Formats: sequence, C-alpha cells, structure tokens
Amino acid sequence: MSKKLISLADCCVAFDGELVLDHINLYFNDSEFLTLLGPSGCGKTTTLRIIGGFLTPTSGEVLFDGVRINDVPPNQRQINTVFQRYALFPHLNVFENVAFGLRIPKTEAGKRKKARLPEEEIHQRVLEMLEVVSLKGFETRRITELSGGQQQRVAIARALVNRPKVLLLDEPLGALDLRLRKDMQSELKRIQQQLGITFIYVTHDQEEALAMSDTIVVMDQGRIQQIGTPEDIYNEPKNAFVADFIGESNILDGVMHEDYVVEFFNRKFKCLDKGFAPMEPVDVVIRPEDVDIVPPEKGQLRGTVTSVTFKGVHYDTIVDFKGFKWLIQTTDYHPEGETIGIILNPDDIHIMHKSPYSGMFGDYSSYSEEYDELEDISLLEEDVEGGDEE
Amino acid sequence: MKKQRRSGSRLFIGLIFLFLYLPIFLLIVFSFNAGDSSAVWKGFSLHWYGELFQNRLIMESLYMTLLVSLLATVISTAAGTFAAIGLYSLSRRKRDALLVVNNIPMMNADIVTGVSLCLFFVAFFQGWGGVARWVNGIQNAVELPTRLTLGFGTLLLAHIAFNIPYVILNVAPRLRQMDKNLVDAAQDLGCTWMQAFWRVILPEIKPGIVSGALIAFTMSVDDFVISYFTAGSSTSTLSMTIYGMTKRRITPEINAVSTLLFLTVLLLLVIVNVREVRQERRGVSLEPRKLTWMEKLSVRTSTPRWRWVKRGAGAAMACCFVAAVIFLTGATSSRPVVNVCSWGEYIDTDLITRFEEETGIRVNYQTVESNETLYSLLKSGGADYDVVVPSDYMIARLIEEDMLEELDYGNIPNFELIDDRFKYLSYDPENIYTVPYTWGTLGIIYNAAVVEEDISSWSVLYDDKYAGNVLLINNSRDALGAALLYLGYSVNTTSEAEIREAYALIDDANRRGVFQGKVMDEVFQKMEGGNAAIATYYAGDYLSMRDNQAEGVDLAFVIPEEGSNWFVDAMCILKDAPHKTEAEMWINFIASTDANLANMDYIWYASPNRVALEQYPAYYEELYGEELDPETYEIMAASAEVLERCEVYENLPGETQQLYSRLWVELGTG
Repeated sequence: MSKKLISLADCCVAFDGELVLDHINLYFNDSEFLTLLGPSGCGKTTTLRIIGGFLTPTSGEVLFDGVRINDVPPNQRQINTVFQRYALFPHLNVFENVAFGLRIPKTEAGKRKKARLPEEEIHQRVLEMLEVVSLKGFETRRITELSGGQQQRVAIARALVNRPKVLLLDEPLGALDLRLRKDMQSELKRIQQQLGITFIYVTHDQEEALAMSDTIVVMDQGRIQQIGTPEDIYNEPKNAFVADFIGESNILDGVMHEDYVVEFFNRKFKCLDKGFAPMEPVDVVIRPEDVDIVPPEKGQLRGTVTSVTFKGVHYDTIVDFKGFKWLIQTTDYHPEGETIGIILNPDDIHIMHKSPYSGMFGDYSSYSEEYDELEDISLLEEDVEGGDEE
Repeated sequence: MKKQRRSGSRLFIGLIFLFLYLPIFLLIVFSFNAGDSSAVWKGFSLHWYGELFQNRLIMESLYMTLLVSLLATVISTAAGTFAAIGLYSLSRRKRDALLVVNNIPMMNADIVTGVSLCLFFVAFFQGWGGVARWVNGIQNAVELPTRLTLGFGTLLLAHIAFNIPYVILNVAPRLRQMDKNLVDAAQDLGCTWMQAFWRVILPEIKPGIVSGALIAFTMSVDDFVISYFTAGSSTSTLSMTIYGMTKRRITPEINAVSTLLFLTVLLLLVIVNVREVRQERRGVSLEPRKLTWMEKLSVRTSTPRWRWVKRGAGAAMACCFVAAVIFLTGATSSRPVVNVCSWGEYIDTDLITRFEEETGIRVNYQTVESNETLYSLLKSGGADYDVVVPSDYMIARLIEEDMLEELDYGNIPNFELIDDRFKYLSYDPENIYTVPYTWGTLGIIYNAAVVEEDISSWSVLYDDKYAGNVLLINNSRDALGAALLYLGYSVNTTSEAEIREAYALIDDANRRGVFQGKVMDEVFQKMEGGNAAIATYYAGDYLSMRDNQAEGVDLAFVIPEEGSNWFVDAMCILKDAPHKTEAEMWINFIASTDANLANMDYIWYASPNRVALEQYPAYYEELYGEELDPETYEIMAASAEVLERCEVYENLPGETQQLYSRLWVELGTG
C-alpha cells in the first residue's frame, strides 16, 4: 500500500532572476525507487536539494507526510543524502564516518535536554549497517585508503544508519567505472528492497534509470517532461525530448490524417494511436531496433546505407532516405552503399503531439551536434547555480 | 663539461649560503665571548647568557613580547579562520578580489603599515577625547578616560591586524581543498551549522590553522618596525629593547639575545615546514599507516569516560590563561607607576629594583637610541613618559617649545648634592627644569701603538699622515664642532661663513682620503681591533674600549688643546606628565650619592653629584680590591681646568640646524 510521503506543490526556484525550477508538481510514494532523470542543469539536483532542505524554494510548498517543511533545516528532516563524490569525512575512519549521525546529540520531542545514544547502541547499529553494505572488517580503515566503490558503500551506510524515511542519492555512481557501476546498481536496488524505504535517485544516465527505478521523472530546463514507469517512458515518450533522451530514436515530422493513420515521407502508415485532430501535425518516433530491413523491392521505403558501426550485439546502420538519415539497429550486416528497403509495423510507430522540442532531434546525422549544444547550455546553467564543484 | 658546470653551481650555492648565514654564525659565536667586545675573542663563556637573564629590561620586554605575541596569535587565528570561512561562502569573483586585498598588507612595507597604524590610533585618541569629555559632561555615572595613549592595547591591536592576513593565507588553501559538500553532509546527518563547524570544518582545516598560528606567532615575535610605531612609550618588545641598546654599543648581551631570538624563530619555522612535508606525504599514501602518539591518545580518550577529563583539562587551561592575563595586566595597572625614558645601557638596572622596593612604585623603564628619536616620539603625541633624560642642546629645544614641566625642587632634596659646575648651565639658565644625570667630554681616541707622537690638536683628524686610518664621527654636530674648534671658532657659532669654513676643512680631508669612513657604533670594533688609528668619541666609551682592546693595541684618550665639547644629560619631567609626584621621587632617588656611585661604576660616565664624584675612587677600591688609576679617573671626570677649555652645545637656531644637515648630506654624496 503506497501513500504520498513527500509532495512538491508548484515549486519554483530562481537564481539571479533566472528560473531554474519552473512550477514543479511532484509527489513521492512511500517505499518506492524514484529517479529524477535529465541532462545536467535540468533542475534535478536542485529538486533534490529542496527535498534535502539545503535550498528553500522561491515559491511553492514542500510537504512531508502532509506537513509543510519549507523552513525545516536539513538536520531536522527525516531524510538523508548520499552526495555526489560521497562527501565522506577524511579525518574520521570508516566506523566514525558511519557513526557520525548517531553521535550528534538530538533533542527529543517533549524533552529539554539533548539526548545521546548509548555507545553500545551506536556500535551495534554501525556494525549492522556495515554488514548491509558488505564492509564488515573495514571499521578502522581511513577513508583515503578505500577504493571508490568502498567509499560509495560507506556513504550509503552513513546515511542509512540514521534510519531515514527517505534516502536521497545525487549521482552516486557517477565516479565509478562501468563494471562497478553495474554491480552497485543491483546492490542499491537490493538495499532499497531489503530496508523498504524511499529512494530518490538523481542521474543523467538513462540506462541506470531504466534498470533501477519504479518511477522515472524526466526533467529538462527546470520542467518535468514526463512521469511514468520505465516501460511507459521508453515506449510512450510524451515528446521529442523524452524520446530522444531515453534510448535512441528517429523522430520525423508527420501528419495525423485520422485515428490510426499517419502520413510521413508522403506515405500513409498504419499506427496504434488515436485522439488527434484531423490533419494535426505530429512527431513520429521510430526506435532503431524496431525497423525491419527487407530487400529494396519489398520495402515500404527505400534508402542507401551511408555508414555501419559494429556494436557487438548489433550493427548501428545509418540509412539515408531522401536526404533524411535514420539510425537502424540490426543484427544483419549491410555494407555501405547498399540500397535497402524497410517495413514499419503499426506497433513500431509512436505518435506524439508537437512540442518546443520538435525538430531539434529529427535528422540523426545532426543528433550529436545538437546534443553538444544542449550540453553547453546546461553547463552555463550549472555555473549560475553557483555550484563550486572544483 | 657537465660535471664542471655542476660543481660551479654548487660553489655558487655555497657562497650564497655563506653570505646569508655567516653573519648570524658570527653573532652566535660572539655571544659566547668572554670579553665584552664584538671584535676581539677572549675565550668561551656563558657569561652573557647569565647576564641576559638578570637584565631586567630584557626580561621585561621578553615577557611583553611573549604576551603580545601569544594574545595576538590566539585572537588573530580565531578572527582569520572565521574570515577565511566567510570568504569561501562568497562567490568566486568577490572572494578572489578580497584575497588580493588580504595579500596587500603582507606585501606592504612594514614602515608604511606602522606609520599608518600610529596615525590612525593617534587620530582616534583625539576623536575619543572629545567624545569622552562630552559623555562625562552630560552624566556622572561613569567617568570615561579622556586621555588615551599608545601602549599595550594599541601594540596588541597592531599585531592582530598584521597577523590576520597570514592566518587567512594559511587557512584558505585548506578550505579550497575541502569538499564543499562536507558541511551539507554534516547538516544532513543532524548537525546544526555550529556543530558542523566543530565536528567537520575545524578538523579539516586544522593543519592550516595551526601553521597559520605558528607563522603569526613568528611574525609577532619577529616584528620591530610596526611595534616601534604602535607600542608608544610605556611598552617595549624585545626587538625594540635591542634597538634601544645600540645607542651606546653592541654588547655581547645583544648577541646572546639575538641568538636566542634567531633560534626561536628558526625552531618555529622548522616546525611549520616539517608539518607541511608530513601532510603532503600523508595525502599520497594509500597504505595504512601507524598512528602517531597524538592520534593514539585521541583514540583512547574518545570514549565517554575520558570526554569529561578532556573537557576539564581544556577548561582548566583556558581558565589559567585568562587568569594569567588578568593577573599580569592587573599587576601592572593597580600599582603607582612612573614612566622613564632613557638611553640603552645607561643605568645600573639594580637601581630600578631598589627604587621599586623602597617606594612601591613600579618603574616602566624604556629606552630610545638618540635625542632626535626621542624628540620625534614626543612630538608625535603618542608618548606617555614622565621622565626623560635628553642631552643639553635637546633640553634647550624642549624648553623653547614649552614641552617641559617646572620641577618642584622641594621634592628633590638631593639636588643640593649636585656640583655647582652643573647647575644654571646655558640650556637651563635659571635651573628650573632639570637635574643632571651624567656628564662627559668628547675627545680624540688613538692607538698609541700606531700613532707614535703625543697628540694634542684636532689637526691630526685632517692630516695626510694618517690617511685611511681616521674615523669621522657620523654626527654633524660633533664632526663640525671639532673642525670649528680647530679653526678657533665656537662650537655654537651661527655664522654661516665659519661653519662653511669648517665644512670645507672636513670636505677637503675627505677628498684626500684621510677618512676611513663615517661611523657611530662601529667605532668600538674598529678601535678595539686596531683597524683604525684615530677617532673622535666620548670619554666614557673610551674606557670601555680600552678594557676590550686586542693584543698589540694601546688606546689613549686626549682632549685637544683647542678645547672640546662637554655634555650634560639631565633628567626632566614632561609637561602634563601623569605621574609628576612619582617622577620627582625617581629623580631624587637617581640624584642620590648611592645611585650616582652605582651608575658611574656601571656606565663609566661621570656623575654630577659632588659627593659621589669625590667618593668614587674609594668606592672602586672597596668594590674591586684595587686602586683606581688616577689617569682613568681624570678621563672619566675631567678636571676643572680641562672643562674650562670645553664648551657645552647650545640649541642652534633652525636656520643653522638646517645648514648643518644640508652640509652633512653633501659630504656623503660629495
């Protein structure tokens, strides 16, 4: 049985007059694994900092269990954070890092005097948590003597030992190499299920998001673009941005003639979408792995292969259709210069309303260029946030 | 080829280090000299170190130095640390701009910092006086002091001010290295900002704070120029006292003090550097390392049982420190006091202790190095002396400018004992301002082993016969005075023609290469070591040179037939002195026969006290078990007929003074 644990109601954040978060409405259920996904500068870390209490929204409300917590400082929230690059305390050993939160005297409700936990309890809880993150026996190690993955685990243990209701994770796997990242993904999922608390996870890595999350929130330019399960987000992207950011896509201009009929490349195709106005211009998404290649004479469309890249499981094949380049992923090898035909089934075609992102990611050949530009913009925004990462 | 170049560069480095450290090495060696010369080695002895610890002036200023340095270090470390943390919460552009501003005071010349702080304090005191009078005028509940002066407070403020940049400079890099998320992480784990500061920020930047504090302490101990301008009259640090001692001569005591100062600063710098190297190593190593004993101790004492012991110890130490400061400052303020300013090495310091024991009045005894410095100190308004001991011509100037208080001779019965020869002199014709302290003569000191004739005229100073062997005294009044006397004029002449004639005489000799150089303090080393044959200097100092002369040197002293200068240094009380009664008690005490005997024996300048002057040979015999050489006595206290030939310097009119300094500068560049 899930219930709303945290809600953001109409939250805005502005730095120097620039809107970094634009009217965010969002809620988090108890015990779920939720991911905030988006390119850097999209506002996901800002959202996380609002929840953690490091940032007060310029307008809007933050509710915890239905109570407004806008002005509650971080140290009084039942929320803990795993920071980017962990922020472990270098002057303390592993045990003391994990015990840090437990050693802070706290005022209990109704009592004047600050209470300290008994030393035995601290010991027991720290050791327990080190076991959960598989770091038993590392108690007296110094932080500088640990590998990246081990530091990661200490950071998780340090946050979880306080038994928070919500754990915030800010790009926690960003600094790890690929293998370790995969291992830690399943490790994190296991810990979340074992402890049954809410994880709010921030990442710009769509694969990570798809693999771990119960719910994904895709963000860009301070706005929520789509909320849904990983399957929803992948299969039914709401706009060109989501389609492009999650997985790879060919996005084409089209016109919806009537329910279940869409026209592009001057040809009508059957599809599974309905409810558009007659003759409404739309964006058409075709995932590269959904395209079937057939001999030219049998295809609905005909094109020429312009480049082939071997990717292990499949070939990334770029095909030119009348000057418009598609990415097609296929296990068959088609050499450069070959003319091929393709067939699109109705369930391979996904129709989206037009959005400000339409046309930005259309031609696959220009994909990377545009992505670079996008990243430049987001880097600028990061600077505005005053983040002193260095 | 390559090898050759390397040995060449090694030689070069060796020479550089030799150049840097040889003087200090010499100083250290001579601090162990048994004799009291800085040029002639008379065997190894720790005598001067023992002497040092009995020298009240040095020990007092050492205590002052340590107190100021410690307090300034503690305060500036706290202030600098928080300032650095504040800087790091600003945007990068503002922070960088402020860090540049922070660096300026360190680069700035000390003298500029010192003078500007002094100006600032004096201006503030003037403003404060007005405010305090106004406040006192409108209410009676609290009486605000209206007259503030430079002193311990301003010295401390100045040290704090120049230390803060060093602390910031040391703490800032640690903050830059620190992960900014650490503070967020601590707050996230339940800390308030203050708890995060103590538990996370402080341990992280501690190495920076410690080295900042060490450097601040070193700078404080080391500082002379800024202290000199802000300490005022009643306080003096070790380096200021050392400087004051150089007025007469550099004694091995100074060598000993300087050696200790050098070693202290060296030790502190070594500690700072070793810490830095260790931290760098620690940063790289991935291997588990052994805990240092400090860390072991802190691990062992981190259990709750020990926590109270640690807190208790900390609190006790803090209390001790506060109590010590309160006690020491209290002890210095509650007793009646008299502020005396004199020359370095110009009193038997036992007299100060004796006066304090007899009267219960604390003597704040300060020294400056020349009449001119004293004058500018008094003029700057920062000085707070009661008693000063200027020389004759400076007394005349002070009287002229209405800076002295008339004495109540009823309170100074010992004035009766002063010989009539030293009363009603030209600088104080009615004798209402002064009581003489010492007197002496200027003459020619020569090495009889080299100069075979009996010298009786100033002419030898300008004679080619001794070219390159004559030392010209670097004091326009004395140098031109000798020339005027040789030409048959008065030392107090205001005739420009006569003065120019005297100058031409010196200038001509200078061009012919008669003079080895213009010297003041160097005269001791040169003459004692036999490196020069003829010099002009004071009788009392001749006696101390003769005591230290090297093998084969035979120093003699003569007052030329043309006559010479004789001088009187006299005690006066400054206008509006805050402790006039105590000041008159001090003057009376110093004018006593006992005090004059002790001083005469200590500084070898003649006493103006008639009885002391007569009794000195007997006193000497009793003290040392041998008869005082009558010739020595004659040099010390010139006879009436010799004094007859000599003139006292009078204060020259402004125009003539300017002519003197202009000519003196010309001689240097000529």
